[in-house]
Amino acid sequence: MNQSSVSKQNHSNQNKSLVKRFFAYIRKYWFIYLLILPGLICMIIFNYGTMYGIQLAFKDYSPKRGVWGSEWVGLKHFKEMVQDPNFIRAFKNTIIINVYKLLFGFTFNILLALFINEIKIRKVKSSIQTCVYLPYFLSWVIFSGLIRVFLEYPSAADMGGVVNQIISKLGGEPVDFLKRPDLFRGILTVTNIIKTAGYSAIVYFAALAGINPTLYESAQVDGANRFDMMIHITLPRILPSVAVMLILELSGLFISNFDQVYNLYSNYVLSTGDVLSTYIYRIGLGGGTQFELSTAVNLVLNTMGLIVVLLTNRIIDSLDVQGIF
Amino acid sequence: MGTRKKSTNKDTMLARFGFNFYDVFIYVFCISFALLCVYPMWYVLVASVTPYEEYIKGGLMLWPRGGIDFQYYKAIFNTKSFTNSIWISISKTFLATTLSVLVTSTMAYGVSKVHVKGMKVINVLVVFNLFFNGGLIPQYMLYQNLNLLRTYWVMVIPGALNITYFIIMRNYFTYSVPADLEDAARLDGCTDVGVFFRVVIPVSRSMIAAVTLFIAVINWNDYYNYMMFISNKPSLQPFAWVLRRMLVDKSMMNTVRDGASRLGMELPPPMALRMATIICAMLPIMLVYPFLQKHFTSGITLGAVKE
Repeated sequence: MNQSSVSKQNHSNQNKSLVKRFFAYIRKYWFIYLLILPGLICMIIFNYGTMYGIQLAFKDYSPKRGVWGSEWVGLKHFKEMVQDPNFIRAFKNTIIINVYKLLFGFTFNILLALFINEIKIRKVKSSIQTCVYLPYFLSWVIFSGLIRVFLEYPSAADMGGVVNQIISKLGGEPVDFLKRPDLFRGILTVTNIIKTAGYSAIVYFAALAGINPTLYESAQVDGANRFDMMIHITLPRILPSVAVMLILELSGLFISNFDQVYNLYSNYVLSTGDVLSTYIYRIGLGGGTQFELSTAVNLVLNTMGLIVVLLTNRIIDSLDVQGIF
Repeated sequence: MGTRKKSTNKDTMLARFGFNFYDVFIYVFCISFALLCVYPMWYVLVASVTPYEEYIKGGLMLWPRGGIDFQYYKAIFNTKSFTNSIWISISKTFLATTLSVLVTSTMAYGVSKVHVKGMKVINVLVVFNLFFNGGLIPQYMLYQNLNLLRTYWVMVIPGALNITYFIIMRNYFTYSVPADLEDAARLDGCTDVGVFFRVVIPVSRSMIAAVTLFIAVINWNDYYNYMMFISNKPSLQPFAWVLRRMLVDKSMMNTVRDGASRLGMELPPPMALRMATIICAMLPIMLVYPFLQKHFTSGITLGAVKE
């Protein structure tokens, strides 16, 4: 009895000192904790607050009873998802478009960086850089406006975009580019290259800037021409960056660019142009009322994306470059 | 024989400037791509100030023919929803950017102090959100519960913590603000507060300015929050949304055209009005572009590849 009360007292003393130490620690670093407080509150409310709504994916939502009171239905909406032909189509389109962007966009970025690096007149080089970075800063709304202005189909009130004017002048039939399902993925790929190639090339410029010029001089003495030097000196130098960018690109295989597709697509090109993010929007807020399905699809995508990103980060860590965590 | 001589001549001509075929190819490639990037913007600018009689002739416009005419700008600025949306965009850009920079930079600095307990966990919690979120519908429900739905503030408050720039700023505070500098200030008797205001902020001034610009551009371009969480409340629509409507919404276009004809103008072509709107949306970005370029090429936004 005596013993136990002593131990109790001991215990409470220990607790007290723990609490004391905790507050002493907080007081020591109070300013750091104060600094993160606003951000922490925002994060808890606006980022983790949305996670509460994820339960909708497992429920049948009734507006009267609210999110919490709605009835659990298990995996019903996930079954709906895999049976929905529109989901399958959006999934397929997302992957295909991303593979196009990877095949053409990714290679183009590297080529652009290598070629711009070969330009030796500094003024020309910096002017070209200024031009190619610029589109990156325009939003997709603005950029889609430029695309529409150029590809516009002639109408009664207007003479159509420059591209169609040229086609007509050459004696061809005007093409309604943005309403042709067979052209849509190509348009997405090309416009994406124009908008982001310059910016993506910056990563490689950073690596290229570090090459020792004596390497080129000695190669020249050995009789190498400029092309040989590009292949044997410049290219190996940027390969680590290329590897990192490739992995990052691959980790975004399920991620679709909502801004780009939403601002360019229309009902005419849904068959080839509808991607996962526009699908989630359309069945949720953009006309549809399938709130639960929309949430379920988002949950599946996020989970897949998270797994891929964790793997990616592990691979990048092993490559001895700084990861994101 | 003749052709051969000619080609050698050409070779020596080029060679005199240190050029060969390889160079020519590279220059042509790079310059054409650069033109592809900027010509559309130039074309839109030129076409939007070309007088009607010249405009309808079409073709690739390289400079304004037949003088400069701001009639299309007059037409769009005569529409009330335009002027209103510009004010909405300016005010929301200002408020959202200020809030976002304050919240994000202070948190990034705090979390960069990994020796303080809890910071590593908080860091993982923040970055986790980059890859995992509730998605559109849970977001909608949340804003409904917070009474943010269909208010101006839904375009300002939820984005206060910008996770991308949180990572960039955290890396900057960790790797680019010399720890020796902070230690030296502490030896001189500075508290954490003093170190932050007298050392860290002055040292990172240019980084904070750059991030402010980038976040401002994002906010100026943003239409997503309006579209998802306000929609259909014309008094709150931002300029980016007006531009989007000018591109795809016939009723909006007709309002502007009718307004223009009431002003006694010839019924303006829809494309010309679109171009004038595009230029207005681009203008603020163009004004800050030199600063944007300077900062992002200096590597502030990257820092992903270790030397």
